[in-house]
Order: sequence, then C-alpha cells, then structure tokens
Amino acid sequence: MNALYRLIGIRQSHGERTVLAIDDLALFPGKLYTLTGANGSGKTTLLTLLALLAPPTAGELRYEGEPVQWTNAALLGLRRQVTLLHQSPYLFDGSVFANVAFGLKLRGIRGDEKQRRVEQALELVGLPGFGQRRARELSGGEAQRVAMARALALEPKVLLLDEPLANVDRGTSELLEGVIAALPERGTTVIMTTHDPEHPGRLGGEQIHLIAGELACPGFVPEINASTGFQTEGVSNRAYL
Amino acid sequence: MEFLAETFRTALALILSLDGEVVTAVVTSISVALWSILFATLAGVPAGVAVGITEFPGKRLVITILNTLMALPTVVVGLAVYGIISRQGPLGELGLLFTPKAMIFGQTILAIPIVANFTLSTVKGADPRIIPTALTLGAGPFQSILQLTRELRFGIMAAVIAGFGRVIAEVGVAMMLGGNIRGYTRTMTTAIAMETGKGEFALGLALGIILMAVALLVNLFLNILQQR
Repeated sequence: MNALYRLIGIRQSHGERTVLAIDDLALFPGKLYTLTGANGSGKTTLLTLLALLAPPTAGELRYEGEPVQWTNAALLGLRRQVTLLHQSPYLFDGSVFANVAFGLKLRGIRGDEKQRRVEQALELVGLPGFGQRRARELSGGEAQRVAMARALALEPKVLLLDEPLANVDRGTSELLEGVIAALPERGTTVIMTTHDPEHPGRLGGEQIHLIAGELACPGFVPEINASTGFQTEGVSNRAYL
Repeated sequence: MEFLAETFRTALALILSLDGEVVTAVVTSISVALWSILFATLAGVPAGVAVGITEFPGKRLVITILNTLMALPTVVVGLAVYGIISRQGPLGELGLLFTPKAMIFGQTILAIPIVANFTLSTVKGADPRIIPTALTLGAGPFQSILQLTRELRFGIMAAVIAGFGRVIAEVGVAMMLGGNIRGYTRTMTTAIAMETGKGEFALGLALGIILMAVALLVNLFLNILQQR
C-alpha cells in the first residue's frame, strides 16, 4: 500500500529550539493513528504540519507520493482533503448550521446536498435539530461536537484531531469515540492526539509516541501526562498566511 | 438667561419649520461625510487588516505613523490638500477647489488613519484561531481573511463610525477646501462658525442641535448592531 503521508528528515523549529525531528515516518490511508506524548512533545506541531498549515523548517513532506509544494495555489487543493479539529475549536459567529455548512459552501456544495450533509453530520455527533441554535450559546461539549460535525460534513480523506475528547463529558466522549473508530471503515484516515492511556487500546489502530519531538522506540510505554489545557501557543491569524 | 432661552426657542422653531438654509447645510454635511467615509473605509479597512495580520520590517514605524496621523489637525490636512488642488498645484487643472469633491478629498484623508487604526486594534485583539480554522476547512488565504473581517464586523463598524464622527464634526477641511459657499459647500459646522461670528446665534444653535442628534443616532445605530 502506498503511504498517504511520508515525512523524511523533517525538522520544525521555533527560533533556536527544534520542536519536531522526525527522520522517517509513513502514514497509510484508511487507518487510525493515536498520537501520544507529554505536553510539549510536538504532537500539535506534527498535526499542524500534517494539516499543511505550516511548512517544515527542513525536510520533505510527501502527500500521496508527491512532495508538498508550499504555495497557496497547490495547498488549497490539498487542504480541502485534510481537516484539522483543534482541541479548543473556534466556532464562527452565527448558527450551528452555518458553521457546519462553512466548508461545504467553500467547496461549492449547495442546496439539498448541503442540507443533507449538515443534518447527517449533526446526527452523527448526537445533535440533531441543533441547526438553528446560535453557535456562541452552546456549552463547551456541544461546541466540540459541532466542530466535529463541521469536520465530518466535509467527508475529508484525512481527519486530524487534537485532543477531541479532552473537554467533553463521559457520554459525549463515548459517542465521539464510536464516531472516530468508525471513520477508517469509510475510508477516512484518522490521526488523533490523546493524553488518555486507554485510547490507543480502545480505539485500535496504531500508536505513534513522541518524546521531545522525536519518535519513541517501538514498544516504548508512554509516560502519560494527564493535564490538558487550552493550547493557543503557536496559533495565530498571521502565522498561516 | 432669557437670551439663551429665547435663542433655544428660535433654534427649535428653525429646525421644526425645516428652514431651507438649515436643511441644505445638513444635507451637504451628511452627503460629504458619507462619501468621505465610504472612500476611507475602502482604503482604511484593508490597510488595517493587512498591517494586523502580516509581519514586515518597519511594521512598528507604520503603526506609529498611523497613530500620529490620527491626531492630524484638520487645518493641516486642509492646507496640504489646498496645495495639491489649488490652481498652481499638481491637480489644479481639475478645478476641485471650493467644491464638495475637494471636501470629500480632504475628509477622506482625515478619516483613513482613524478607520485603519481602529481596524488594526480590532484585528490585533481577534481570536487567533479564526484564520487557521477557516484554512483548515478549505478556505483560501483571501477567503480566510474575508472570514476574519466577518467575525470582526462589529469592531470594523465601530472603526467606520469613529471615522464618520470625525468627519461630520470637523470644520477645518470643510472651510478651507469647500469655502463655505451658501447652498453648495456650506456644511453644518462651517455654518455654525459663520453664523455665530455674525451674531446669528439661533441658527448656529439649531445646526449644533442637529449635529448632536446625528452623532447620537449614529451611536445608537452602532449600539443596536452590537447587541444583535
């Protein structure tokens, strides 16, 4: 099977500090990967790279066998195949429907098809009938589910999830785990960061463990840091343009 | 005291009777200010957003210049534009001096730094996740910036309204570039200055009351928008 992503000699630095150093990593389509590691181990940096939001400082990233061209024109087509769901997702001002339909409109999906996909995605995350609610009036857990629905509605080839289950109650967590676990069967590759030591086992798939930005040796038992917080470090409106 | 009460009564009578001179000055003021703010918005909002979301050498200097320009005295703008559009100036052949177009030119220059600066502050205070979220949902760079402005629309509207407040209330540019020609370039502020100088205190007061009412209405409008 051809790799979906191939990372060769990747280095990502913030100033003098190297936060990600991966010599060789291949990720295959239709699989589920859990990405573990302590805070600051480079998980979010790796997801940001895989989401094609920031080019590496050095090295080559290949997507479907082709080296990624970091130009706006080339990136637009690729980014429409890959969706990243941030740990503390941002919902646009407006209705839940408008939020879930945002990416569909950008792809020219309108009318009945748009309606169907939005309703289906909201149903998947257990929020049927929420379309007309104002996004800003939702609880934290509901907002997380709407953001998940917004990503699912796009039916992306790759879904990158940054701690999707960290800030939700147990019921929602179980519901979302079921949704995530079923995605590879539908052909979606899932790469998900987590701090929960049980997730890799429970969700199946493969585990990638990072220590200080580097891949841990196979068979390494990860040291889990249970603390989760809202991470906006490194996120900025100007950084990605 | 009796003088003030009597003047106030006369001013109200002038407003209620829709005195021709009052109406013309009000219409000229509002139309010149609206055109100015339209042009200032077209230039100032993109400038504020661009400075806010990009990093470039000399950015601090640009921000400092923008801040300084916010406090630009209206007579200095009047003087500079006068030099450009007067008969011997580079744009002298266009014959703009003492026309509403000249006032729009000057007031646009006056409003651009205000609109740009307020927009810049709004962009700087924006949630850092807006553009990354739009990009990861498939937006291109331009679409993601458009989404950023949509999210910040109330802040940007406040910037525009602040600019409108500045131009509707200014007198220097209107007087120097418009020339205070009755029925043509006479605005509320130039009329107030002139009528008061002539001792026509009631007419000045009538226009002052309308000017305050316009400012109040604009702010009420902004308030209603922000509560939506």
